[in-house]
Amino acid sequence: MEVSALREELDSMFLQLLSDLEELEAKRAALNARVEEGWLSLAKARYAMGAKSVGPLQYASRMEPQVCVRASEAQDGPQTFRVIKADSQTPEELGPREASLRRRKGPTKTQESGASVVPQDPLNWFGILVPHSLRQAQASFRDGLQLAADIASLQTRITWGRDQLRGLQKRLKELDPGPA
Amino acid sequence: MLETAELHFNVDHGYLEGLVRGCKASLLTQQDYVNLVQCETLEDLKIHLQTTEYGNFLANETNPLTVSKIDTEMRKKLCREFDYFRNHSLEPLSTFFTYMTCSYMIDNVILLMNGALQKKSVKEVLAKCHPLGRFTEMEAVNIAETTSDLFKAVLVETPLAPFFQDCMSENTLDELNIELLRNKLYKSYLEAFYKFCKDHGDVTAEIMCPILEFEADRRALIITLNSFGTELSKEDRETLFPTCGKLYPEGLHLLAQAEDFEQMKRVADNYGVYKPLFEAVGGPGGKTLEDVFYEREVEMNVLAFNRQFHYGVFYAYVKLKEQEMRNIVWIAECISQRHRTKINSYIPIL
Repeated sequence: MEVSALREELDSMFLQLLSDLEELEAKRAALNARVEEGWLSLAKARYAMGAKSVGPLQYASRMEPQVCVRASEAQDGPQTFRVIKADSQTPEELGPREASLRRRKGPTKTQESGASVVPQDPLNWFGILVPHSLRQAQASFRDGLQLAADIASLQTRITWGRDQLRGLQKRLKELDPGPA
Repeated sequence: MLETAELHFNVDHGYLEGLVRGCKASLLTQQDYVNLVQCETLEDLKIHLQTTEYGNFLANETNPLTVSKIDTEMRKKLCREFDYFRNHSLEPLSTFFTYMTCSYMIDNVILLMNGALQKKSVKEVLAKCHPLGRFTEMEAVNIAETTSDLFKAVLVETPLAPFFQDCMSENTLDELNIELLRNKLYKSYLEAFYKFCKDHGDVTAEIMCPILEFEADRRALIITLNSFGTELSKEDRETLFPTCGKLYPEGLHLLAQAEDFEQMKRVADNYGVYKPLFEAVGGPGGKTLEDVFYEREVEMNVLAFNRQFHYGVFYAYVKLKEQEMRNIVWIAECISQRHRTKINSYIPIL
């Protein structure tokens, strides 16, 4: 019967939603941990290098990002966000609509104003010989970026899933007005 | 051999030695650090510091209080004390003080040049320069394009002039060259300071030379550690090592060939002083090599106060005060980031 097929679809959608929520919680905790780690590593770098050597004096006010976020929309699915390097050539998406490339101001560590063709590693703003803690900070913030994009995709998927769920529940009520 | 220091040191420098010993006695104690670690906010930290020798040094700061402001005010306070010492000093202590300020001047020059590279305004960078390293031509540093420009136009009148011998080149100043310049200037400065202390002889040489030897070796080891995985070549690396330490010449040569931490450790194991330091790296507290070196520096500086009639007490006091400032800034950062797991990684000055 159509009703039972609908109920099955409703159940599977609900389960998917719950597992997405669990994944979202885990990713949020991971992002918090990475960002905290990054800031502590920056404090350690200041301890080793001197408090004024790691600060707003070392980067330019205008900078070009090293990574960008690309939003893409499947035909009947939610929007997903991917983090890509700013200078790489990406293949054309298969979707009917190509969402525009969005510039995203991420943490300052990954953005850089490069006069040369190859974008410079922002680590070099602080000198060539930087302590290990500064490299660790950069790695933590980079991981955090990837997590942030995943979290954004998960959140849109969850909102889309909730809407689908409401739609299915309405249809179910119409077909089977008895106690559902 | 009659030690001549005791006979006439006090004539010229007795007042200042007494003063610096008094200042040393008012450094923060272990109990003070325990109180600071328990603070919940930076305002609490400010209140606790008011009960110590720091007094109301943050009284004029507007809200909100940041770690950077605390650091700036502490530096200004140290600079006032140091200027008092310097203004009352006679030769050769005055030359000693000038040598002490050269390292801060080098840092300021590099800060200004980096600021010019990042197109920052001179005023903004000047505000962050170290007050101990100020010199009159500071504002003109950012107009220089090459090292020889920098020397001829700006620095020829400053005490930094003699340290430019090995660094003159026509290369434009980009990040790599600025880093090389910083390290070469520091190398010349350290070697000149070492020679000055050695030539002075007496207790000053006995105290200062080991301290400066340790500083030279420490620079060589840290440069090697930080150069792994960068574009700095091994030959370039060797030119940055100061030669007035225990590692010269064989150790420095081996260090220039090292490619990872293990190889570096093996070089250091040949020297009785550095073997235990490398073994303390890692361990339960997650100590880095920089931490271990700071601890050793504090040890040597505290021991300098056990002898009288030498200039090393002034150097040791300034370095201990700097360590205290680093400790307070670290505690303040942990408090403001609300990340208290490592808040006890400061080095107490006993």
